[in-house]
Amino acid sequence: MLSLPTIREEAWRWADLAALPALAEASPQGSVPDVSHLWIGKGPRLLFIDGKLQASASRPDGIALGAVTATTDHALGAFANGKTGWTLSLGRDHAPSATIEIIHVGTGGASHLPARIALAEDAQASVVETFVGDGWANRLTAIDLASSARLMRAIRILSSSGFVSLREEAKVGENASLTATVLGLGGAGTRIDAAVSLTGEGAYGEVGGALLARGEQRHDAAVVIRHAAPLGTSRQLWRAVADDKATASMAARAEVARDAQKTDGEQSLRGLLLQRAATINLKPELEIFADDVKCAHGATVGELDANALFYLESRGLPPALAEALLTRAFVADAIGRIGDEAVRDAFSKDAEAWMEGAL
Amino acid sequence: MLQINNLHAEVDGKPILKGLTLAINPGEIHAIMGPNGAGKSTLAYTLGGRPGYEVTGGSVRFNPNAPYSGEGRSVGDAEQGSGLRRSTEDDGIDLLALEPHERAAAGLFLGFQYPVEIPGVSNVQFLREALNAQRKARGEEPLSAADFLKVARAQADALGLNLDMLKRPVNVGFSGGEKKRNEMVQMGIIDPKLAILDETDSGLDIDALRIVGEGINRIMRKPDKAVLLITHYQRLLDYVKPDFVHVLAGGRIVRSGGPELAHELEREGYTQVAA
Repeated sequence: MLSLPTIREEAWRWADLAALPALAEASPQGSVPDVSHLWIGKGPRLLFIDGKLQASASRPDGIALGAVTATTDHALGAFANGKTGWTLSLGRDHAPSATIEIIHVGTGGASHLPARIALAEDAQASVVETFVGDGWANRLTAIDLASSARLMRAIRILSSSGFVSLREEAKVGENASLTATVLGLGGAGTRIDAAVSLTGEGAYGEVGGALLARGEQRHDAAVVIRHAAPLGTSRQLWRAVADDKATASMAARAEVARDAQKTDGEQSLRGLLLQRAATINLKPELEIFADDVKCAHGATVGELDANALFYLESRGLPPALAEALLTRAFVADAIGRIGDEAVRDAFSKDAEAWMEGAL
Repeated sequence: MLQINNLHAEVDGKPILKGLTLAINPGEIHAIMGPNGAGKSTLAYTLGGRPGYEVTGGSVRFNPNAPYSGEGRSVGDAEQGSGLRRSTEDDGIDLLALEPHERAAAGLFLGFQYPVEIPGVSNVQFLREALNAQRKARGEEPLSAADFLKVARAQADALGLNLDMLKRPVNVGFSGGEKKRNEMVQMGIIDPKLAILDETDSGLDIDALRIVGEGINRIMRKPDKAVLLITHYQRLLDYVKPDFVHVLAGGRIVRSGGPELAHELEREGYTQVAA
């Protein structure tokens, strides 16, 4: 029997996990879609089908396979903890030859896959993950960044159906930096969880992204960034678009511990309703115990600007194109946080394709 | 080219246009002047099809391919130039039945009094999409990115705008004058048959006024095109010489005449002239 959190728990109030018990029992169908167009670069790559590595289609290049155990108490992450997964461990001043790409294909069953990313001092890496297919993909990623290490993460959820749940747990050391951008679209329900702890002085943590929902889909992101040391910087920039009767929810929390002075935090949560029957929930939260901090926060939900729509249409753009253009612009600053140009372009194209299908 | 008959329109249930009649032939430039609240902008938005501008009566026929006859250019003849003069051209299409983007594709351009800022959407990107949407609607081939940039650069140069500015988000960070010049760049790129320019002169300094005026002449002063200039002041008319001047007051045209009417208005004020 699957034990799941309920919406009575504050952190799960907008989650819709109702599909999970059935998905947990479902069997993989084994029909694998063609994913060749999803590879962005030519660097190290891993292809997982239903959570199992496809060695023939992968180039691990130093990424190890084996049991990954983290100290998590996360309700969904715990399902993956201790199972076989992947580990990227980089020594001091090391970096992979190029962006690491990981594609997760689901064929209808449930897969629980843990991962660890450990970067020693001054090491850096860029990791892109793509989710496609069906079923339940549940992931736990434990991240440990030593001083001045840099990790860039970009995750896109393009799955056709089912559910994708992600749990990221990160410790960011002195002057180290973690940036994570999530693009959620496609037909699956999602739950994106992250707990980032800025443990070293001058650490930088950024978790954000764009959630695009339509139909009766539900996207749900819950991110906590904790400033545990002074001079840290955090950024949480989320954009949500909801069409039809879909729901997109984003809870972003910044915690500033008593001695985390000179913290610079910023939260920007914005939602765009394409239909009145759609729902967007935003919850920006600040919990500050230090007295010398700067924490900007903003949360707004709105519709497309009627003035801008008419302006574009008066120049000859049909309404659907005008709406797509404005919606693209709305999510552009979230996707624009991705530093790697090829990755950013690929994610932008996915978002554009979603809009052209939606509008 | 444009035949407005007894047009009535309201905004938020409040009647603004109350029986406006006006005919514009190819090759003509008409100026509509009038006091605040006369319905000038309502006329522009109603012709452009802006949501919320409800037509409650009358008709507007638009014939972008109306032949140039030279008739009606007997400037100064108050009778000929009267807004009541019947058009001799084909009836054309029912403009009011078209969506805003269809009006654009048919050849109508609306120059905004307050051009809208659109963060995140680049000028060139949206203009190319707009132009190609228009071309597609007319059954024409799309313009390639390279060809489009060539056209855009030429128009930007002519209006004294840097092409780099056109790569920036639409009107964001532009001064009032730059926004108006950008409207003219857009008009030059789109190359419409009929331009309705709503207070294109407001917010312009003397130099910008001249540049914009020259732009209107260069782009629109052609035998197969026409312009409806909506303005508060006579000063733009020093650069763009109208063939006809109309006074709009209380939602209708109360007087029509040649360019000298603009000077009369400037001298004596709307109250006097419209009385």
